[in-house]
Amino acid sequence: MIGKKIAAFFFSMFLLSMAVFSVARLAPGDALISYYGDRAERMTAEERVWAEEKLGLRDSLLVQYVRWLENGLKGDFGISYKYKTGVLQVIGNRMENTLLLGGTGFLLIFLGALGLGSICALTENGWMDRWICRVGTISSCIPEFWMALVAILVFAVNLGWLPSSGAYDIGKSEDVPNRILHLILPLSVVVVQHVWYYAYMVRNQLLKELGAEYVLLAKSKGLRKGKILCRHCFPNMIPSYLSLMAISIPHILGGTYLVEAVFSYPGLGTLAYESARYHDYNLLMALCLLSGFVVILCNLAAQMINEKIDPRMKEQTYG
Amino acid sequence: MAKLLEVSDLFVSFYTRQGEAQAVRGVSFYLEEGEVLAIVGESGCGKSILCKSILKLLPYNGVVKGGKILIEGTDITAYKERDMERLRKHVISMVFQDPLSTLNPVIPVGKQIGEAIRLSSQGMKKKAVEERVAELMEMVGIEEPESRWKLYPHHFSGGMRQRIVLAIALASHPKILFADEPTTALDVTIQAQILDLFREIQKKMGTATVLVTHDFGVVARAADRVAVMYAGKIVETGTVEEIFYDSRHPYTQGLLRSLPAYARRGEELYAIPGMPPRLIDPPMGDAFAYRNPCALEIDYEKMPPMFQISDTHFAATWLLDERAPKDLIPDWRQPYA
Amino acid sequence: MRDELLAVENLTYCFRHEKHIAIQAVDNLSFQIREGEILGLVGESGSGKSTMARCIMNIYRPESGRILYQGIDVWNPKEFRRHKRLLQTSRQFIFQDSSSSLNPKQTVEQIIAEPLKIHGQKPERGTFRGEAAFQLNQVGLGEECLDQYPNQLSGGMRQRVAIARALTMKPRLLVADEPIASLDVSIQAQMINLLKRLQKEHGFSMLFIAHDLAVVHYLCDRVGVMYQGKLLELGPVTEVFENPCHTYTKSLIGAIPIPDPRLERARVLPEFEKENLEWRGQKTEVSFGHFVWR
Repeated sequence: MIGKKIAAFFFSMFLLSMAVFSVARLAPGDALISYYGDRAERMTAEERVWAEEKLGLRDSLLVQYVRWLENGLKGDFGISYKYKTGVLQVIGNRMENTLLLGGTGFLLIFLGALGLGSICALTENGWMDRWICRVGTISSCIPEFWMALVAILVFAVNLGWLPSSGAYDIGKSEDVPNRILHLILPLSVVVVQHVWYYAYMVRNQLLKELGAEYVLLAKSKGLRKGKILCRHCFPNMIPSYLSLMAISIPHILGGTYLVEAVFSYPGLGTLAYESARYHDYNLLMALCLLSGFVVILCNLAAQMINEKIDPRMKEQTYG
Repeated sequence: MAKLLEVSDLFVSFYTRQGEAQAVRGVSFYLEEGEVLAIVGESGCGKSILCKSILKLLPYNGVVKGGKILIEGTDITAYKERDMERLRKHVISMVFQDPLSTLNPVIPVGKQIGEAIRLSSQGMKKKAVEERVAELMEMVGIEEPESRWKLYPHHFSGGMRQRIVLAIALASHPKILFADEPTTALDVTIQAQILDLFREIQKKMGTATVLVTHDFGVVARAADRVAVMYAGKIVETGTVEEIFYDSRHPYTQGLLRSLPAYARRGEELYAIPGMPPRLIDPPMGDAFAYRNPCALEIDYEKMPPMFQISDTHFAATWLLDERAPKDLIPDWRQPYA
Repeated sequence: MRDELLAVENLTYCFRHEKHIAIQAVDNLSFQIREGEILGLVGESGSGKSTMARCIMNIYRPESGRILYQGIDVWNPKEFRRHKRLLQTSRQFIFQDSSSSLNPKQTVEQIIAEPLKIHGQKPERGTFRGEAAFQLNQVGLGEECLDQYPNQLSGGMRQRVAIARALTMKPRLLVADEPIASLDVSIQAQMINLLKRLQKEHGFSMLFIAHDLAVVHYLCDRVGVMYQGKLLELGPVTEVFENPCHTYTKSLIGAIPIPDPRLERARVLPEFEKENLEWRGQKTEVSFGHFVWR
């Protein structure tokens, strides 16, 4: 079973690499501009040929692809045309910021959704439940970037409580409180945007579980509702919730990219945006490949979680 | 004998999109210590709702609109969730129809039984709980409990699962056990075994049981007294023998007559015509009048009271009124062939 | 002897799950249904009754064995194509749960007339509506139901609609998978009478799958007893009920609850150790038309 999954994983990665490469290369644009800047426009034809040769752009696409793949397997994804350093190094610098934003965001969403969903399920159709659902519906209808802009306008421009952009003030990259301060706005936007959807899923799943007969039995034992939820419903719900959250990681990551772009937060999102704008092929491809890797890995994890946790799935009995 | 449970004039309604459905309409009955009372009726007659309203396990759109529920002489009608939890821990228990869905699929059965034990006797040592789990499992007829309590519900067959549910229900030494169609989901060959187990345990522990069922075979095997429900009301109640051999309500008679077990091959099977009434906006008079071939005029206008036939036997039909013509009641009593 | 309408020969069906797990749901089964008879099939849940019905109705493809309907091998693609119309119209299926087998978005009229439209047949009674009304009348429902949706009807009425739909195609074989199990006691008796009457009027054959033996005893002409995918006993109903030969049949019949408290309480539970079931599949004819496999 495991072997099959690993094979499927590598196959998907291979397909992804092809797709990424062809899309990046077939997109219109001039790679030289990102490397040489304005100078590229003033080049003579000979200089252009020389430059393209130097960057390896003159070979046929297939040859380029094979070369890229070969180097990639060795861990070398080429250099970024814009930053003139190794792609991995560029990504590594930014990764930390994105992980901080996405990771804490994901954790908050995970726990927040669980909490909110449980509250809703416990007070089904009560005022709490209704208000949480209402607020959730409204806030998840608001586009992310717009919410981010409004947040900047209110909290940074009008009130001036929080910084509007970046990950830290210049020269204060080691200052933890400063970093946290910069994190608050983008993090809130990411969490507020996504938490409702998952809270709603948790609520419905829990209500479904609460309607099951084993809950009646637990009740007739004299167990309190909160305890029924913790002891009986959660173990039933958690596997599907975990797998849902695993699938949602890329979704949330996508959200973070957008938010990063609005807040000019120096993470992978802004990097990807820039690289696409400046035709920084190598960087773009590596980023896409990385994101795809995360997506496939998460889906795989979701599958594994589903199979491992539920005792019914481990050994099937029939009859 | 002391009355363990007494329900008087209970009304339960459900609020649905179509309107208010009167599921239980003025039901009164009692349960004595150590007896098995069967509540019989078709689906939708309110028998399960009656049980759930006593246990206060109604879904959120179900409301008790009137009446009184006394358990051991204490009025529990106004009990809040907290008080009910205490009651469920020590006095009442419940067994449901489908043992597969009543057991939590991801928790080993021993742990599920143990949880019920811990709840009823707090502060019990782990060792003692384990011993009690084994004892209970043996009592309900599961052999080698030590090797089986780590198994999950899906490892057991239907009959075994129902035994486990019964063990959970008995963990707290309940005085009253509610069993909602406990054998309906089981195979014929297992049914009688489980019913006998019920009776045996009930005799051993002196638990009074309310048995909800639609199956007269189950009633015949396990019940001491019977209450027949139709459209939210109890239409006839009496001892098993009175109901089976001397039923007075045309509905009870019709139900018994329509059982294929009584029919002879080749003859047409007796069938009660028509369908049960809708509980949203039920008829004014006797709800059964529209299906009753010998209904009187008054049946359509006025609800019949309970007429007493013997100390234990009551029936709600105007046919028993002294002014009613006597020859209308059809005489059918054929011995089971 | 009447002609045989359906012959099942050595039918085997497995549920496969992943590669190595296979559950033998139907195991080497053979029987016939004759013209105009009701064959009852009893057994506990999981004994393969429904699976078998689905094989007959071309829903599950059997592992091995043949199903001959009027001499046509229904799982032979070539023969199936040649007789597609006949096979699809003259065999009809009634499900246990009519609430899920009727399309909730169709009116009763549409449900009943649909098979006619699919097969491009002209309604005999002028219009599709007239035809639907006629069929409804046959199953004891009035015309007022024509424009209603299934969820507006009670369980018994829905099951009647399902029967009416089956009847529009003038079936010669009706396969009914526990058609009355989900109905109320007082409605069950109505349905049994209805099925019996319709069978007498139309003369179709019926495979009646049930777990309630009292009903089978009352309704069917012959009965087959299934256990774990195997057919254990087959014979005329009165024969089998009065003189059961297989230990399992004995225990099944002994387990029928008697709605009479004195008799029921006096009844001794039949013993049957499932683990000890010996099955070599040897067919013996006990009396005329009464077979036992041991």
